[in-house]
Amino acid sequence: MFKTSILSCATAALAAFAGPLFASENGERITITGEAIDTWCYYSGVMGGPDAVVGAAHHTCALWCSAGGIPVGLLADDGTVYMVLKIEDDDHSNGGDTQMTIASHVITADGMLYKRDGINYLVVSKIIADLGITNLNHEDYGPVPSFAIPAPKP
Amino acid sequence: MKNLFLIGLCIATASASSMLAQDFSAGSTAKSWNLYPEKKAFFKAKVVDPLCTLTGSCPDNCSSGKRQLALLRLSDNVMVLPLKNSQAAFTGAANELQPFCGKDVEVDGLLIEDPELFARNLYQLQKIRIIGDTKWTKANRWTKDWRAANPDAKGKGAWFRRDPRVKAAIAKDGYTGLGLETDEAFIKEWFE
Repeated sequence: MFKTSILSCATAALAAFAGPLFASENGERITITGEAIDTWCYYSGVMGGPDAVVGAAHHTCALWCSAGGIPVGLLADDGTVYMVLKIEDDDHSNGGDTQMTIASHVITADGMLYKRDGINYLVVSKIIADLGITNLNHEDYGPVPSFAIPAPKP
Repeated sequence: MKNLFLIGLCIATASASSMLAQDFSAGSTAKSWNLYPEKKAFFKAKVVDPLCTLTGSCPDNCSSGKRQLALLRLSDNVMVLPLKNSQAAFTGAANELQPFCGKDVEVDGLLIEDPELFARNLYQLQKIRIIGDTKWTKANRWTKDWRAANPDAKGKGAWFRRDPRVKAAIAKDGYTGLGLETDEAFIKEWFE
């Protein structure tokens, strides 16, 4: 009985760890709609809550972070973030022009999703629609961070 | 019956231990950024190109700086994605990792994990060194790289005020990205 228990335990442990150890790198095809966000400000909370670091309020900072090489994510309505590794033929995910042009925009993208260790990685094969900036939260939050827009000179 | 109980207990224990975040704070000398989801984390890893790892598209030298890079932790094979370097000003970590492409390294920094935002295995890189080396490299080269890539963007102020692409985007669509007319009206109202 002891041997059986040990064997069962080993099997259970193997099953539990099989995911991370032998994670399939096979992607799944998805179509996703979400806002192109700056993932550092969103996840770190460095500039406030998640509602403040998206949309028009945070657009200038999203440009800075995209140009600065912070990974761009697509934030879907259900709160899932998809890290964008490539957009169509452009794999310049470290501060590339294509990612900058969609900063804060809501886009619908067709692509391949790869899940690995709790992170969703997205390889966009085609941007189907670009709805522009739809979250007008600047009216509530003002610029985030506050210095994003220089005060007009008197 | 007893066997079934033991098996259930084993499954529960194994599943729980695989899902719980491990503690990598031992040996870390990372500085706190006073972030709600931060945890100090010092670990060994291989520097990898995640697009290569996931899709098999593998240019030489991790794409020589074009792509985001990740840390494949040696102890558990978890792929950690660094979002940030150690500089304060809106700068990522890929430039810091690029010189270490394909190498086994030690890193020190902050893991960012927040169950409410589904954040797992994200990282702020503060320093890095090849395993076996004694000297650390601080993860602060980004602005130096930017200055070298933008020799004409001279003047006072932070890089993000002088960056030609950022300036062009703001000149085209404004600070809010909503167009110059909307932008101007908002700025006038906000600052009055």
